[in-house]
Amino acid sequence: MKFKIHRYIPFQKTNHKIAITHLTSNVKQVIVAMLSVTFGISMYVFMNGFMKGVNDTQTGLAFSTLSHVRIYNDLPEDNSNLLSRYVNNDVAVNIRNPKVIQYTEGIKNSEKIINQLKNYSEIDAVTPQVNINVFFRNGSIKVNGMLSGIDVENEDLLFQTSDYMVDGDWHELNHRNDGIILGQGLAKKLSLKVNDNIIVSTADGATRNYKIIGILATTLASVDNSKAYIKIGTARQILSKNMGYVTDIQINIKDFNTATKIAEEINPITNYKVEPWQEANGQLDAANALRNIIAVAVSLTILLVAGFGIYNIMNMSVNEKIREIAILKAMGFDGKDIVEIFLEQSIIIGILGGLVGMVFGYIISSIVDNIPFKIATLDSLPMEFQTVDYVMAFVFGVITTFVAGYLPARKASQVDPVEIIRG
Amino acid sequence: MKDLALSAKSIEKYFHQPQTFQVLKNINFEVKKGEFLALVGKSGSGKSTLLYVLSTMDTDYSGKLEINGSPVTGKTQNELAAFRNAHIGFVFQFHYLLPEFTAIDNVMLPALKLGNKPKEEIREKALANLDLLGLKPQAEKQANKLSGGQQQRVAIARALINEPAIIMGDEPTGNLDSKNTKIVFDIFKELAAERGQTIISVTHDDEFAANCDRVIELSDGELV
Ligand SMILES: Nc1ncnc2c1ncn2[C@@H]1O[C@H](COP(=O)(O)OP(=O)(O)O)[C@@H](O)[C@H]1O
Ligand SMILES: [Mg+2]
Repeated sequence: MKFKIHRYIPFQKTNHKIAITHLTSNVKQVIVAMLSVTFGISMYVFMNGFMKGVNDTQTGLAFSTLSHVRIYNDLPEDNSNLLSRYVNNDVAVNIRNPKVIQYTEGIKNSEKIINQLKNYSEIDAVTPQVNINVFFRNGSIKVNGMLSGIDVENEDLLFQTSDYMVDGDWHELNHRNDGIILGQGLAKKLSLKVNDNIIVSTADGATRNYKIIGILATTLASVDNSKAYIKIGTARQILSKNMGYVTDIQINIKDFNTATKIAEEINPITNYKVEPWQEANGQLDAANALRNIIAVAVSLTILLVAGFGIYNIMNMSVNEKIREIAILKAMGFDGKDIVEIFLEQSIIIGILGGLVGMVFGYIISSIVDNIPFKIATLDSLPMEFQTVDYVMAFVFGVITTFVAGYLPARKASQVDPVEIIRG
Repeated sequence: MKDLALSAKSIEKYFHQPQTFQVLKNINFEVKKGEFLALVGKSGSGKSTLLYVLSTMDTDYSGKLEINGSPVTGKTQNELAAFRNAHIGFVFQFHYLLPEFTAIDNVMLPALKLGNKPKEEIREKALANLDLLGLKPQAEKQANKLSGGQQQRVAIARALINEPAIIMGDEPTGNLDSKNTKIVFDIFKELAAERGQTIISVTHDDEFAANCDRVIELSDGELV
């Protein structure tokens, strides 16, 4: 037993000692190999951090007018054959006097739903809306658009609407039943400014007169060109609806990336459509995914190049040390020992290069994060610092060095000692 | 049978580059345990080639080889590596050391690899071996900083470290002056006589050969 214990431990240690001696007597080569890993890993960290920053900025801009999850009444799409729900195709039916019946629009029991939503810890804010398609009129100018009846404070919680005010005060809307806030583009089209009056008429013929108490400009011109806000109660009055009637419930959650999952979780509490932002805005999601693919492709390519660097250097090292390999084998070191000796060198290079690479990646990212870039809401280039990028970069880096180091190590293990020693 | 250290039966070997030519022809001989054997012959007669076959490093031959009573012909490379480590000490013609390691580390490596003694014991043994060969002051020097003769003696100290059953030397004293040749010869003689270790040594030194237990001569790949 004693024999066995002795046998195992020094065996590992001896290969380790040889690997370390090789490394420390070739510091220059080791540093070059390490730098190629360092470069690969720092680029991986930087690329992914930058892409995530760009994605988040892009999505963040979109979320100034878009909520993470939206609940609304999704009218049946295809009403051409209602019978198909109740009878099979092979049943002959005879329909007389078909008529289009009216569906209930909007959400009736909104308070109940909103109260239930408050139980979810992932949910940050909820706001009800009554959205109406209307004509805005000023004298003879007529513009088609959207009148949004909103809960002033909750709307602000979700969309930071008050931040986008260019004239007037958002919260003033609380105290003004006849007050309206216009998008900047809409106000311009109608040649209106604060304190002017505006006429709004619905498709059903209801007409109201409001006083403009503010102008706002979000990051989306298309919204600013067609949208106006009034209190939700006022909007219900136009439609002659009861308290509790809303057309949309907008929800923001803590992490917008989990919207799909949370939408699924809250789906059972209501019969209405629960729609995560990814579903409603496929293009945003697709753009994010594409940018992520680019980031991963570029960084993996860089890692691959780093892998070739290590492969080359280790190959050179094996060729240089071919006589020593032959001696080791002559003394009784077997193929597995030789693989261990050279693979350990690659892995140490990979780990050292990886650690330095993470530090460099952080430094490069910090520098880029501070480069001024004044467009839209940005002050500097966007950058996200995520632990997962560092972990992934390190893992990929070590895997790359492992593979790149294994091939030369295997070659070393196949050296025929006699051929070398014979000269 | 039991006291045989090595038995070679019908060993034949060919080289195919640049053209096919038979380097070893029907070699048959036996070496007893504790025997000190000299292998002589003209340059190019196949002495080194035979020694590589006997040392188990070269497996590209036909015939049958037994060492310490166990057949080694047909074993895998990894089995042979472990076998060499435990049972064979080899001194190369060109005294190959690991240049980046110190003299004592070079000597210790085969024992560390074998791993059946604690490191401290191995170190003491290695130092004693170096001392035997007059190299104690050079123990901590890097191998590539030593002279040719010193390197050859380190290689001999290394071949002895695991107390192998057979020590093979390919002109182990080729680089040594007469004083050190005498030291090495006396060490070999003592190992054979007192510890029963078997020595097979290629030599060009007539005096060296004359004092061995037995001399075998190779001529154009045949034993004479
Ligand atoms: N790798 C090889 N390929 C072809 N011929 C070889 C090779 N090694 C040695 N030889 C030839 O085999 C013969 C024996 O060589 P060797 O065993 O080194 O002789 P010795 O050690 O007795 O001087 C020589 O003729 C030599 O040229
Ligand atoms: Mg020779």
